[in-house]
Amino acid sequence: MQVIEREKLLNRIDDLKQAHGTTRSALMPILQNLQDEYGLISGLMMQEVAHALNIHPVEVEGVASFYSFLHPNIKKGKYVIRLCQTISCDLMGKSRVARQFENELGIQFGETTKDGLFTLEYTNCLGMCDQGPAVMVNDRLFARVTPEKVPQIIANCRRNFLKSDFPQIVPSDVQKSGPLLSNKLKHGDALKKALGMSRSDVIAIIREAGLKGRGGAGFPTAVKWQLAGAAVSDMKFVVCNADEGEPGTFKDRYLLHEQTDLMLAGMTIAAYAIGAEKGFIYLRGEYQYIREHLNQAIEKRKNSKLLGQSILGKKDFNFDIELRMGAGAYVCGEETALIESLEGQRGEPRNRPPFPVDTGFEGHPTIVNNVETFVDASLICAMGAKWFMQHGTEKSTGTKLFSVSGDCERPGIFELPFGISVKELLKEVGGQDAKAVQIGGASGRCVPRSEFERAIAFEDVSSGGSIIVFGQDRDMLKVAKNFMEFFVEESCGQCTPCREGNVKLLEGLELLEKGECSSSYLNELIKLGHTIQIASKCGLGQSSPTAFLSIVEHFKNELLGRVQTA
Amino acid sequence: MTNKYNVCDNSRGAKSTAAACVITPDDTTALGALIKATIDDQSVNVPMGTTILEAAKMLGIRIPTLCYHEDLCISGVCRICVVEVEGMRNLQASCAYPITQPITVRTHSRKVRQARRHILDLMLSTHYGECYTCVRNNNCELQSLAKEYGVDFYRFGHVDKPKTGKDKSSYAIVRDEDKCILCRRCVRTCVDLQEVGVYEAVNRGADTRIGTFMNNPMSDVICINCGQCINRCPTGALQAQDPSDEIWDAIDDPAKHVIIQTAPAPRSAIGECFGLEPGNPLTFEMNTALRHCGFDKVFDTNFTADLTIIEEGTELILRLYKALVEKDQSIALPQFTSCSPGWVKYIEHFYPEYLPNVSSAKSPQQMFGALIKTHYAKMNNLDPADIVTVALMPCTAKKFECNRPEMNDSGYKDVDYGLTTRELAQMIKEAGIDLLNMPKSDFDDPFGTMTGSGVIFGATGGVMESAIRTVYELVTGEVIEGVFEKARILPVRGFEGVKMAELTISKVGPVPDILKHLVPDWNWLKGATLKVAVAHGTANAQKVMEDIKAGGPLSECHFIEFMACPGGCLGGGGMPIPTNESIRAARAQAIYAEDEASEVRKSYMNEAVLRVYKEFLTDGPCGHKSHKLLHTEYMVRGKKLI
Repeated sequence: MQVIEREKLLNRIDDLKQAHGTTRSALMPILQNLQDEYGLISGLMMQEVAHALNIHPVEVEGVASFYSFLHPNIKKGKYVIRLCQTISCDLMGKSRVARQFENELGIQFGETTKDGLFTLEYTNCLGMCDQGPAVMVNDRLFARVTPEKVPQIIANCRRNFLKSDFPQIVPSDVQKSGPLLSNKLKHGDALKKALGMSRSDVIAIIREAGLKGRGGAGFPTAVKWQLAGAAVSDMKFVVCNADEGEPGTFKDRYLLHEQTDLMLAGMTIAAYAIGAEKGFIYLRGEYQYIREHLNQAIEKRKNSKLLGQSILGKKDFNFDIELRMGAGAYVCGEETALIESLEGQRGEPRNRPPFPVDTGFEGHPTIVNNVETFVDASLICAMGAKWFMQHGTEKSTGTKLFSVSGDCERPGIFELPFGISVKELLKEVGGQDAKAVQIGGASGRCVPRSEFERAIAFEDVSSGGSIIVFGQDRDMLKVAKNFMEFFVEESCGQCTPCREGNVKLLEGLELLEKGECSSSYLNELIKLGHTIQIASKCGLGQSSPTAFLSIVEHFKNELLGRVQTA
Repeated sequence: MTNKYNVCDNSRGAKSTAAACVITPDDTTALGALIKATIDDQSVNVPMGTTILEAAKMLGIRIPTLCYHEDLCISGVCRICVVEVEGMRNLQASCAYPITQPITVRTHSRKVRQARRHILDLMLSTHYGECYTCVRNNNCELQSLAKEYGVDFYRFGHVDKPKTGKDKSSYAIVRDEDKCILCRRCVRTCVDLQEVGVYEAVNRGADTRIGTFMNNPMSDVICINCGQCINRCPTGALQAQDPSDEIWDAIDDPAKHVIIQTAPAPRSAIGECFGLEPGNPLTFEMNTALRHCGFDKVFDTNFTADLTIIEEGTELILRLYKALVEKDQSIALPQFTSCSPGWVKYIEHFYPEYLPNVSSAKSPQQMFGALIKTHYAKMNNLDPADIVTVALMPCTAKKFECNRPEMNDSGYKDVDYGLTTRELAQMIKEAGIDLLNMPKSDFDDPFGTMTGSGVIFGATGGVMESAIRTVYELVTGEVIEGVFEKARILPVRGFEGVKMAELTISKVGPVPDILKHLVPDWNWLKGATLKVAVAHGTANAQKVMEDIKAGGPLSECHFIEFMACPGGCLGGGGMPIPTNESIRAARAQAIYAEDEASEVRKSYMNEAVLRVYKEFLTDGPCGHKSHKLLHTEYMVRGKKLI
């Protein structure tokens, strides 16, 4: 029997090799397939996949154990219930939901029921921050879960979702639309316009529009494209970073649904500009329910000659897009970690320089842009630079999509011009009473009331679009702790300052919670925070203590000298 | 899986990216681009792509490092080497930062010192153990840095209980994860340098650790015991399995006759454990020290190195004769050497289908053990049960080898203990012996003849060189010096990953007595070109094996020497720490100097060897007796654990 099972597995791995290839880059898709089919990644699977790809079994285990959604050696339940533990859902009462799940199932988080039906797990940001607490059961999403709804979810599972009241896709509310969201472009419009220009004119118009990366870092898109375009190589790659993992961000999830065509057009335009023939969409594992939709959109564009060979009749322009799934690792939003992940490695950021525009996917020039950046690039090509620059500031042109969650009246998606002050933004979202606003997610800065006049723009407070509003009653120590717990888990674990340092910051917050932290030790931790900022290897590490530092700076009085309640 | 020794490519992504793209100075001088680097107010013009660390070295400025190792790909993870680059907000890892434009750097600014101190404090907070109970006390990179940066308290606390404890399951390698600082040198050593793949980082974030496959103990993973990870570990997280307590027990037991055989590499390097620069051999001082320690006899493994050449050389001649003259298709060629137990285990795991190619001759260590407990015991009226054989080796894999169950042809365990250079140095210190000032003394007879051909076994290419010297002279009847000046067979020397050489036999002589029972004449070799190759480090061995599998030029060789360790035995896992290419080169130079100083430099001229064939192995090389005692069999292990 065992021999037959083994044979079957080996045959299956052979099939998967046929489907995904034998380079290391095939590792993640193969593991994901096997896990979907067998419910776990066994030692035998890791060994055999390793040999199929000509790597060492322990390397496969290194990869499998890196990603939260891959589970080597552990058989999970038929239904894996993942409760979002990140800040926005935390604010909306995730703890009570968690308790109720435990009560209903009789197990703790991290455990599986004896009948093998249910596994309870925490997960980081599901991108449902405006509708928290959010729960994901396998690939189904549940929004605004209350303790009361928990038994119903479990019952639905037991009934195999037959009478599910829950739709698979839960769209976010667009609270305020702007030129991007209300565009009237039709299938193919943007690309037709772009292909009417020369490659260098495409880059020139992006430069003229002053488009900067929408992921948060704000690197000028045209410079990235220019560098990759100028690099000499027989192969180049365009990657869409759809690994939207920043706590409090969900606008890419919306764009992936609603502006799919413009995003794909943007990738194609980028490919045209730099001379790439292959593109990847790296879609975060938490968004696997968008997969089918994206594949259909790609197919549709292929049928319309907007993708594939000789696009729109241009003989020398071929471009294909492949969808790759992430597997639950926030750090893969960092572009070099994302490329590592695409290559079938642990998602560990690389040393920079060299930069991806020079040495990217499998050593070839590669550009990695955010979903929104590609949408904007399409709009700029279709509507012109001037049209785009009507909004925003001189250094931060255009509008920006904001994902708003937390203590406000109108959580959801807002398209607002760059340069808007925090105060104005709070007025838009109905959060005027806020005590503080977290701008830019866990890696961003906590802006207190005294700084609400500051502008959200690359030149002032930069943001990838995550806005989390904290009301007057919020305990900022709990907020800081949530962020630090996030980074302790999501650090790739490579470099010392980020891996070990964030643990120390979290332990410091625990001391504060118990009222046992001296101000001199707190000062030592502040200094450590600065070290983590300047000595870590990648952007994640460098920004990981930002929330801690800004909260300690502005709310020190609230943190020190706590008396523990019994 | 394509990394070559000392060559990094992009196959390991993050770990090697910088190295892949940092153009090394040699490559770029051609471009002629020199860039001014100003470091701590001193300037130097460096080729494009030079790292800040390299530029600082040129200026004699020391930047501390931990994850960086000259033998390995750039990693940039420990962050201890961070420096301040003018115009940049963040500190940069100097090991990984390529200079591509004029740059101004400060290596010890306030920011830098504070960051380094923090990083050290963080490492120490999770590094379990007290220095004085650690094998690496006084030779630990973390300890040195803590001293250098004036660490006088644990700023961020300190673990007071071990998390995992030591894994002592392997005969060769002890892991103490509690001391691991996650620099990943072992990962890069095992995966990139050696292509064995025992270790990899597993899990993520604060849970990250260095794992073995399925968290198996070291005894149950595919490990070749080469110990290269030990040599590169900056702390005591990786150690060798130390038998010195048992050896002291044997020495102190009057009923035991304790003999030690000493391999050529340890004598070339033991001085490093006593503060000498690499390249200063202490052969004869060490002999005296060993006697002071209480060993009853001190023998030279060169004796069985020469014996190996005779047995292995004869085996080669027989294989060639059967293949070329008798047209026996079943004969496996090229013949592979078998002296490196790391290599033997490597091929048993990764290329078991080629085991017929491996010479059946035991390694010199095991031949010696077998002879001691038979021939020597009889000569001296000793009960082999009372003999304890210790092998001083540069090698951790020898510890595994002597414990292989089949290695008991004498009726006893042929070799009782494998002792490394480092462990002997420790024993000498414990005995209060001033090694550097010991009077010199020779090896004991009857196995004490020191030959140059045995000595060079310690360097990559040495076995091949000895084999060529002997085979050439036995076949042609002429001296090798006629072809290679001073018998220096340069094509097989040096640290190039894979070396190939050819030697044409233009004339043949009479068959010497010792081989007359095996071949009638040498005419079948007349005009033949002998093709040989040498590989060191198992990543290079992998290259050779893949070439042979693909029917490439290496498949046409007749004889190939493989050594598991980079540089050969002188780079062994039991040799003094640290190691790098210049240290290994200095040891090699010492070994070749000792060869040239030897009176006898050809194995077949070793009197002790000839005497053994006359008195004990009377049916000659590869005869029945020698087969029983000096030859062995291998095991198909494969690479499947599950």
